Amino acid sequence: MISDVAIIDAGRTTFGELYETEPQKLVEQAFLDTSKKSGISRYDLKACFLSTYFLPLTNKIGAQEGFASHVMGIHVPMDPSRSFSSALSNAYNAIKAGRYDLVLVGGVEKMTDRWDKIKDDLMLLEDPISYYTGATPETNHELMLREYVKKHSIQGESFEDFNKALAHIAVKNHSNATKNENAQYRRKISVENVLEARGRRSLGTYDFAPISDGASAILLASSKVAKEYTDKPVYVYGLASATDDVSHQARDDRIGFLSTRLAIENALKMAETDKEKINLLELSDKSTMLEMISLEDLGFAERGKAWLDILKSCESGKGCYEINGKKLFVNMDGGLKANGNPLGASGGAQIYEIVKQLRGEAGERQVKEEMKYGLVSEIEGFGFKSNVTILGVDNE
Amino acid sequence: MSSEPVERRVSYVLDKLRGSKCACCGSEYSTPVDYCRDCGRESFGKMQEINYFFQKGKLEVCALVEEPTNRFTKLAPFLHGTVSFGDKIRFPGRITDMIIGDEPIDLSKFEGREVVPRFRRRYSVKSHEVIPTISLAFTFADEYYPYQNYEIRKPKKEYEKPGIVGFGVYTSKFRIKEGNIERSVPFLDEDAITAAVEAGKMVLIQSGVDNTDIGKIYVGSESNPYAVKPIASKVAQVLDLGKKEDVGVRGVDAVDTEFACKAATSMFKDAAALVSYPKSKIDYALVIGSDNSQAAPRNEKGGELDFSVGYGAGAFLFGKKDVIAEIEGWYSCTSDTPDFWRRDSEPHPMHGGRFTGDPAYFKHVRHTTKKLMSELNLQPKDIKYFIAHQPNVQFPVRIAKELGFKEEQFSPGLKVSKFGNAYSGSSPIGLAATLEIANPYERILIASYGSGAGSDAYSLITTPQITEIKNRQKFTVQHQAENPFLEFVDYNTYRRLKLGI
Repeated sequence: MISDVAIIDAGRTTFGELYETEPQKLVEQAFLDTSKKSGISRYDLKACFLSTYFLPLTNKIGAQEGFASHVMGIHVPMDPSRSFSSALSNAYNAIKAGRYDLVLVGGVEKMTDRWDKIKDDLMLLEDPISYYTGATPETNHELMLREYVKKHSIQGESFEDFNKALAHIAVKNHSNATKNENAQYRRKISVENVLEARGRRSLGTYDFAPISDGASAILLASSKVAKEYTDKPVYVYGLASATDDVSHQARDDRIGFLSTRLAIENALKMAETDKEKINLLELSDKSTMLEMISLEDLGFAERGKAWLDILKSCESGKGCYEINGKKLFVNMDGGLKANGNPLGASGGAQIYEIVKQLRGEAGERQVKEEMKYGLVSEIEGFGFKSNVTILGVDNE
Repeated sequence: MSSEPVERRVSYVLDKLRGSKCACCGSEYSTPVDYCRDCGRESFGKMQEINYFFQKGKLEVCALVEEPTNRFTKLAPFLHGTVSFGDKIRFPGRITDMIIGDEPIDLSKFEGREVVPRFRRRYSVKSHEVIPTISLAFTFADEYYPYQNYEIRKPKKEYEKPGIVGFGVYTSKFRIKEGNIERSVPFLDEDAITAAVEAGKMVLIQSGVDNTDIGKIYVGSESNPYAVKPIASKVAQVLDLGKKEDVGVRGVDAVDTEFACKAATSMFKDAAALVSYPKSKIDYALVIGSDNSQAAPRNEKGGELDFSVGYGAGAFLFGKKDVIAEIEGWYSCTSDTPDFWRRDSEPHPMHGGRFTGDPAYFKHVRHTTKKLMSELNLQPKDIKYFIAHQPNVQFPVRIAKELGFKEEQFSPGLKVSKFGNAYSGSSPIGLAATLEIANPYERILIASYGSGAGSDAYSLITTPQITEIKNRQKFTVQHQAENPFLEFVDYNTYRRLKLGI
């Protein structure tokens, strides 16, 4: 199957604290990386779709398009949006509508530039009443964990296993990141490290994705144009988003995201496939809890059971999850946890990983199994918006 | 997030937890909404205001916040969680009145318990900014502060003379104990404003008076965190005093008064006079004395006060219906005697040392009490209870004895050794304590004292209706004085809590 819209290539910067580099330089680096192979010039671009959450806050940059134009010296239409998935969706629609045939989708974030205030800034993505009552960006993850163990009556030894299962997610992602030269954290951690870092809390430092700087970019084109630049286009088969009440407390279901469940349903419909054919996943592991809950929301694990599958898979040391006899390769780049989470660029890095894996260009971390599709789940805030993108290669 | 319009809107909604109810289908919403999600267009203009401030919630789940966002730094560590009101309404909330040390925490011990919404400061802001408040701070209903429903009752009887219709006292659950003296210590998010609201709330609960029938509120305080901006306006808004007008105001007169520790008692007669004046159209007037009593640290000038200051508020509702204690008479006197003062913008008051005794406290309290007793032709034996202002334990005992009162007459109202000197709330708390135990047709004499200086003496006679209200208040002075959930703190913690956020 061939989709009308394809990715020519993907590029990115290293993620981490990149204090010496200005945000616009990061976009430039990501663009150079993504166009290296195809030799596409910035003058070939018909439009740019840029994503960033917080540049106006972190760097007092409100005119993203002007800065991009300044760096690249081009004057094409540019549209800013918040998440990389949103930017991709807009770019997809424009190409599909026939307005442009080659565009840049780029995302950037420079969170460490506002280290002392970023925690407060992140609360802009949640219900203000949560902020007024002392919630932090981590609190809702911990409340969801509590709701989960209560709902599924996970107590005593099971609760200890549950805690271990979540720890394994961080351990697995850190281990994956050791093979990713662009990752923020390239060191192994142990289950004990994760448990110890929790202290008295339900989740701790090693459960949460870090504060990061970085940029990512993809070149998106009509399939016709894409084939002129690459013999390995990665097709956009399905993409969908859904929204939900900004207040976690107001939602009826607080042990999962309705937005994710709606987005996967529509993305699969669009891609005309079913999830049985998908075994490569990039999930929004803003916390270990969210990687686990995403497996359930996306339908890869039964609700209330994902932690058991994770625990079993990780303790047997397979390096992938095995759920109901099916192998799932999740966050092979280290996920948001170890690869890094520069918000506006995170979705791009997820797509980058899927593109590299599907093309067999992932180097040391290349999955050896046969793969046709890769799925990206990007959750915004604490699930007020969820994006699901299904990418694939035409190997029929 | 602290621009003045944003602050005003957030406080208006969340100080009272104002939500909406659809008149068409009965669906409830946790915040004010213009239409019902189920009924859509049909429900425009049919949404009713409801509020959760007088309801109890349940802490569903919670998380420990150790590294908070910037404005919560001084409050951390604290518990944050999901609080439900019934099946459909849930709020995020902070658990307050909890000092969390280094001990391990079992979250399941807190989850599933009933909680009461409390009106508190929201978080820290700069000292020139509007103080943000919120009632999404919660305490456990099975601890110090019980849940109580506010039920409006129709008055039964009209009196000729005005008097006290209801009373309420609030002191915090924290105490410092030095020697035999226990003193009430505010939690970090408490101040004179939050205590005034609490005391006012207790009056409503006990009296059952319709809050919209209260036409005037006076709040006396010498520790208002604002130099300019009344406490009374906040109390009126949170407790919805006065009739609601459609332009976003309420038909209530609110004013703060200041005369050191007699700021509240001075207004008793004004409140009583107001409800008696035939053309005032005001059925009830509320007087609250509230203080987070200020004192400099012990090694600084004015630091002698640090041994006696407390925290608390007393509130009295005056009217002519269902009166529990009629005012028999009063007398007040004044002289310009600066024995205790605080200059504008100074954080702590100064204390006049030896001038605060004979030429100040004793002279004024002695004179008002004697004069009132002679005007009413009373002997000490005609008086069941005597309450004097209580800056320390010695002064009120010495003056009571000098005036011829026996221990059984003055000790029921002597509460300074339990709560410390709550300044404007001091003698009102003593009065409330005696009203709690008083029987019908008993005479109570109260003599307040305010530095600067003056004293107000009132003679009150209880009515048979005092027995009717006895069981309507769980959060009594007695409950607050002797409570297994009181938490005693050391000196450094006391100073930190008193300073607040």
